Amino acid sequence: MAKLHLQILQPVQMKIDAEFDHIIVPGVEGDFGIYAGHTAFITQIRPGVLQLYNEGSIEKYSIHDGFVTVENNQVNIVCEIIEKYSEIDESRANNAKDRAEKRLKKSKGNIDFRRAEAALKRALSRLEAISKSD
Amino acid sequence: MANIRDIKVRIDSVKSTKQITNAMKMVAASKLRKSQDRILKARPYADFINTMIQTLQFKNKHSEHPLFEENPGDEKKALIVVTSDRGLCGAFNSSIIKEASNYLKENSQVDIICIGKKGDDFFKKHDYNVIKSYINIFNEMDFSISREIAFNIIELFTIKEYDKVEIVYNEFKSVIQQNIILKQILPIVPIEDEDVPLVDYLYEPDDYTIMGELGAKYINVDIWRILLESSASEQGAQMTAMEAATDNATELIATLTLFYNRARQASITKEILEISSGAEALK
Repeated sequence: MAKLHLQILQPVQMKIDAEFDHIIVPGVEGDFGIYAGHTAFITQIRPGVLQLYNEGSIEKYSIHDGFVTVENNQVNIVCEIIEKYSEIDESRANNAKDRAEKRLKKSKGNIDFRRAEAALKRALSRLEAISKSD
Repeated sequence: MANIRDIKVRIDSVKSTKQITNAMKMVAASKLRKSQDRILKARPYADFINTMIQTLQFKNKHSEHPLFEENPGDEKKALIVVTSDRGLCGAFNSSIIKEASNYLKENSQVDIICIGKKGDDFFKKHDYNVIKSYINIFNEMDFSISREIAFNIIELFTIKEYDKVEIVYNEFKSVIQQNIILKQILPIVPIEDEDVPLVDYLYEPDDYTIMGELGAKYINVDIWRILLESSASEQGAQMTAMEAATDNATELIATLTLFYNRARQASITKEILEISSGAEALK
């Protein structure tokens, strides 16, 4: 079967540059799977779990933002924050969650609110990732 | 002529200064390599986002996003001035400040955003309208800093506070050469690229949202690149300045050693004279 070539680009590095059979991406309008031969497509990514399947093995990443483009079996993901499950620091995520919750209570409807909300979403998706991987 | 001990003390002090400047040069060199490395790593990401924006703009000429449009109105502008946090790097900061001052002369109604302590010191002292400063960020720089800066700039721009946001910074050409660049950050002007692949993508949720997100990411990575360029230039300028200082110290030591030897010779000659004339007197 034809393979998908995946590149995950971050501002600080090229995280992944490899071939996979099947990829599941958390899009803003729902998770979707990509196989070889997918139509040309762009979507925004919501915080969630990115799953990469290759020859029976699966790699899971916690992804927080960005875009995915599919074109001619070439999949590009550009994102600022992505972590492999094993790289997530649980206590740090917990602290971030508490901090964001406190800020949310204090500020309503301004810039800080939206930032705290984004931070809370990130923390929650990290924690979710940890609880699933156990 | 100064006496032997004074010269000796001066030589020692110049020697220790030379050691310091030499060490600073080495430190700057290693930091420079790190910054250069990061610039290279950021490039594929930045290029990709730039290409995407162009592809989308080409396809959807009619769905313009506010981040790509000038705010019509009262000509109010924001200028971001990128300097360093510390000195000892030659004309690095003064040339940036000069360029920024020229800009301020030509444009009225400019608010200043300072990145780096040197610029902040200068513009606050001279009572310019500094609305925001980011200080001591270059020492431990990571991407979250540039994201915070970009977030604030976008926020100011989208509430239509400013017509245009421009930035002045040092671009890294080589260790000995830095170019001062004045460029527009907002509204976004993507770099023209000849061979943009024109792929007919399906969009989800819609091109307007995607354009907005891509625009924000573009600014994030643009600020990141500028911070890295500026940091690399600063290290380059510091290397050059410290190398010059080390060379000067070497020269100074050579001159002082000459004086020292001359003084020593003179005192020896004097002593011999005294002894021989003393011996002469005893005869």
